[in-house]
Amino acid sequence: MTSKIINMAERIKDEQDRLLESMFQSAPIADNGFSSQIVRRVRRKLWIRRITLPLAVFLGGLVALQPIVALLKGLYQVLLSMPGNLVPSLEGSLPSLQLVVTGALVLFVVMFSLNMLED
Amino acid sequence: MAWGEDHELVARVVSAQDTNAFGELIRRHQSHVRNFLRKLSGDMSAADDLAQDCFMRAWDKLHTYSGSGSFIGWLLKIAYTTFLQSKRKSKRYAEILEQVGHVSEAESRTHVVQSDEVNDLDKFLAVLSEEERAIMVMSYACGLSHREISEATEMPVGSVKSVIFRGKEKIRTSFDIKDHQHG
Repeated sequence: MTSKIINMAERIKDEQDRLLESMFQSAPIADNGFSSQIVRRVRRKLWIRRITLPLAVFLGGLVALQPIVALLKGLYQVLLSMPGNLVPSLEGSLPSLQLVVTGALVLFVVMFSLNMLED
Repeated sequence: MAWGEDHELVARVVSAQDTNAFGELIRRHQSHVRNFLRKLSGDMSAADDLAQDCFMRAWDKLHTYSGSGSFIGWLLKIAYTTFLQSKRKSKRYAEILEQVGHVSEAESRTHVVQSDEVNDLDKFLAVLSEEERAIMVMSYACGLSHREISEATEMPVGSVKSVIFRGKEKIRTSFDIKDHQHG
C-alpha cells in the first residue's frame, strides 16, 4: 500500500518535471561497435586469466626443475651411501632418477591438458 | 538468437561466463550508461572511456547483482562510482601537476571540458552540484524511480527526493521558470 502511494506520488508531475524530462531526454546513442569492443576486452581478459595459472606453474616448474633434480640426486646418494642393513628393502624398490622426472613431467602434462579440456 | 530478460542473461553470464550474453546486455544498456556519463562529465570521449570501464567492472561484479532491482539501476550505480573514482584520480593528477609546476597543462586539461559545446541542458546542469546532477540525470534522463536511484546512490529514498527537490528549485530560481503545479 505504502509503495503504491509512493509510486502514485512519483507519477504526479508538474510542468517543470515535464520540461526537465524533455530537456534531459536525448536520442539513443548508436552502438557502432562499442559493445563488441568491450566483449573483445572481456574475452582477452578471460583468456589471460585462464592461461596465467598453467603458465605460472610451467615456468615455476622450469625454474624449479634443476634444484629438484639436484635434491633428488642428493637424496639418492644419501640413500645409497647408507649401510645396507639400515635400508634393506629400499635398494631394489627405489625408482631411477629418470623415471621420477619423466613421471613428474607426464603428471604435469596430463593435469595441464585436463585443465584446458575443462575450459 | 532470441535473448530473454536481463536477469536471464545475467544468469547465463554468471553461470557459464557467456560473453555473447554479456554483449547483449551491453547492447541493451550502453545508450543509457553513455548518456548518463556524458551528461555527468560533459566530455563525450571521456564519458565513453568511463562507460567501457564501467562495463568491465560490471563483468567482474556481475555475480553480486541480486536481481532485486532493475539491471540498469545496478549498472548506473557502477557507472556513478566509476565516474567519482575517475574524478578523484584526475583531481589528484591536477594537484600533482600543480605541485611540480605544470600549471599550464593542468589548466589546459580543464579547458577541454569547459570549451565543449554548451546547450540549454548544460546550463541547467551547471547550476547543480555533482550529486544533484547525477540524481537528476538518473531521474529525468534515465527514468529511474526514486527507489532505484536510492539503491544506485546508496542514499535513503527521502534524501533522493530532497536532492531532486533542491535541484529543481535551483533550476527554477536560476532560470526563472514559473511553477504551474498540476494534480
